[in-house]
Amino acid sequence: MSLEVDGVVKRYKVKAKKSTISALNGVTLSVKKGETLGIVGESGCGKSTLARLIVGLEPPTEGSLTWSEEVLGKSVRNSLKSHHSKIQLVFQDPYSSLNPRQTIGSCIAEVIKTHKLRAIDAIDGRVNELLSVVGIPMDMKNRFPHQLSGGQRQRVAIARALASEPDLLVLDEPVSALDVSVRADVMNLLVELKEWFNLTYVFISHDLSMVRHISDQIAVMYLGRIVELGSWSEVLNSPRHPYTRALIDSIPDHTKIQGIDFENVLEGEVPDPANLPEGCAFHLRCPIAKASCRVEVPELQIAKASHLVACPEVLK
Amino acid sequence: MSKLLAVSNLSVVIAEDRRVLVDDVSFSIEPGEAVGVVGESGCGKTLSALSILGLLARGLKIGSGAIRYLGNDLLQSSDEELRSIRGNEIAMIYQDPMTALNPVMKLGDQLLEVLASHQNNITNPKKHVLEGFATVGIPDPKRAFDSYPHEFSGGMRQRVMIAMSLLLSPKLLIADEPTTALDVTIQRQILALVAKEQRRRNMSMLWITHDLGVVANLVDQVIVMYAGRIVEVGTVKEIFNSPRHPYTVGLLASLPASDSSKEKLASIPGAPPKPWQVGESCAFAPRCGKAEEICRSKRPELSGKTGSSVACFFPEGALR
Repeated sequence: MSLEVDGVVKRYKVKAKKSTISALNGVTLSVKKGETLGIVGESGCGKSTLARLIVGLEPPTEGSLTWSEEVLGKSVRNSLKSHHSKIQLVFQDPYSSLNPRQTIGSCIAEVIKTHKLRAIDAIDGRVNELLSVVGIPMDMKNRFPHQLSGGQRQRVAIARALASEPDLLVLDEPVSALDVSVRADVMNLLVELKEWFNLTYVFISHDLSMVRHISDQIAVMYLGRIVELGSWSEVLNSPRHPYTRALIDSIPDHTKIQGIDFENVLEGEVPDPANLPEGCAFHLRCPIAKASCRVEVPELQIAKASHLVACPEVLK
Repeated sequence: MSKLLAVSNLSVVIAEDRRVLVDDVSFSIEPGEAVGVVGESGCGKTLSALSILGLLARGLKIGSGAIRYLGNDLLQSSDEELRSIRGNEIAMIYQDPMTALNPVMKLGDQLLEVLASHQNNITNPKKHVLEGFATVGIPDPKRAFDSYPHEFSGGMRQRVMIAMSLLLSPKLLIADEPTTALDVTIQRQILALVAKEQRRRNMSMLWITHDLGVVANLVDQVIVMYAGRIVEVGTVKEIFNSPRHPYTVGLLASLPASDSSKEKLASIPGAPPKPWQVGESCAFAPRCGKAEEICRSKRPELSGKTGSSVACFFPEGALR
């Protein structure tokens, strides 16, 4: 079993401006069962769009996505429901993804009922089980989301995702909204859950230190394309693409006291996805861009076994 | 060196029921010094900063304490006096420039308004604003002058905010999480910009952030806050190399190290309490592995030499 994303393109039409936004421009990757793929990139790089396509909330404009050979995002209503039970999404902000007027117990029970996963009289026991798995005391079952701390709410959101007994969890910035001291707890929980339930993760974040911690493979995205893909240690310890390098250098590192090199800063901003530059999308900000980078769109090429880079300049 | 700003025994309370949000906070900033305040949401770091400028929201008020700017207590100053200090002497940049800028007013006009409403001897305001835009790295200052905030990206809007805060060359700049809403490469640009301007102008800075990485790289002195109180103060080296309060130790340990082993992350169990729920005990005691009876019955006071102190009965590195 694996997740296969093949040549996926996603375009959105903006009627008011009569323009088209290219959110994904040909993304190909695969995640083996039991592995964690980390996706990093800045706003507008398409990482959340990819999450939505993997979960089947939207169909791709071109290309295909499959999970254990089942096509995602093109299904008729009924089989879509079975997909939803197998692939679940956890959002950044549990405060907006949980119903504020529903107790956390009934919010989890609802999932079990919808997918008819337990007999009616067994649902309550199952809810208790799920809450204890994510470390929420059972006596909190009748509380509302606002009565919980941020960390507890995210645990409930995770329990809710687990309620449908999924194989694949797409985690879109799952700890970004949490306080530092609580983040580590939720990260540890995610690592444990993956082993207990033999889950596959797609972990999306802008926080490289979290992605490093949890991922087997890492994909770095820039303006709808993967610019670097490989094992976590290859990508983070010997990054090749100039964008990956800049990204790693940009993170304020608490282990380097007063050691930021402020002279060497990546200039410029991410271009508008409605108006993509010709050639390599990164060439406007790239310190090593050549004339050819303005013309040709670089493809992912093998730099090393298990390490792909979309930059011909660094592979020369 | 004389103090530029000295906050002493500051408390902030909810006016209606006098619940305490910031409790007995004291610190000082010297000319040219950068001080960082770190802590998690609700620890009182932003309220402490807003108190300095007299900008607390309605419903909150100062319970006690003094905030002396060059010797004058700002809490005893009239609105008139405070207005002459805000902007001219002490300026602030916020997390979200979109809510701090007026969405229906051209950027140039917003900056001109700052100059018009503060005393200054700038002879050519428009030229001064255009120079301000250029200083913060806005590519086309003339075009920016006639643009609205929504026409700019988040990073560019934050540059506009910084230009605005620096217009009157303040002696102290308070930065409240100015890069939290930005992408990492843009965050780096903004941090570099502010650090450069601070050095160039020999300006004092108060950085308020939850990001220990930012603090480690930009400040001289670090203040760690927890549940409305200061729990540890030290130089950046002391805090990061030999933290003494168990909370500081836990906070640093919970960050994944960049030399990466994939071991389980050290975590602090539980969540911070509300400042008013703490009572006569150490606020961190319920989450602390070293807590003993005294921690649950008595509040530890900040103690130690000036500029390096900790509020803990059993600090790291102390003999027991």
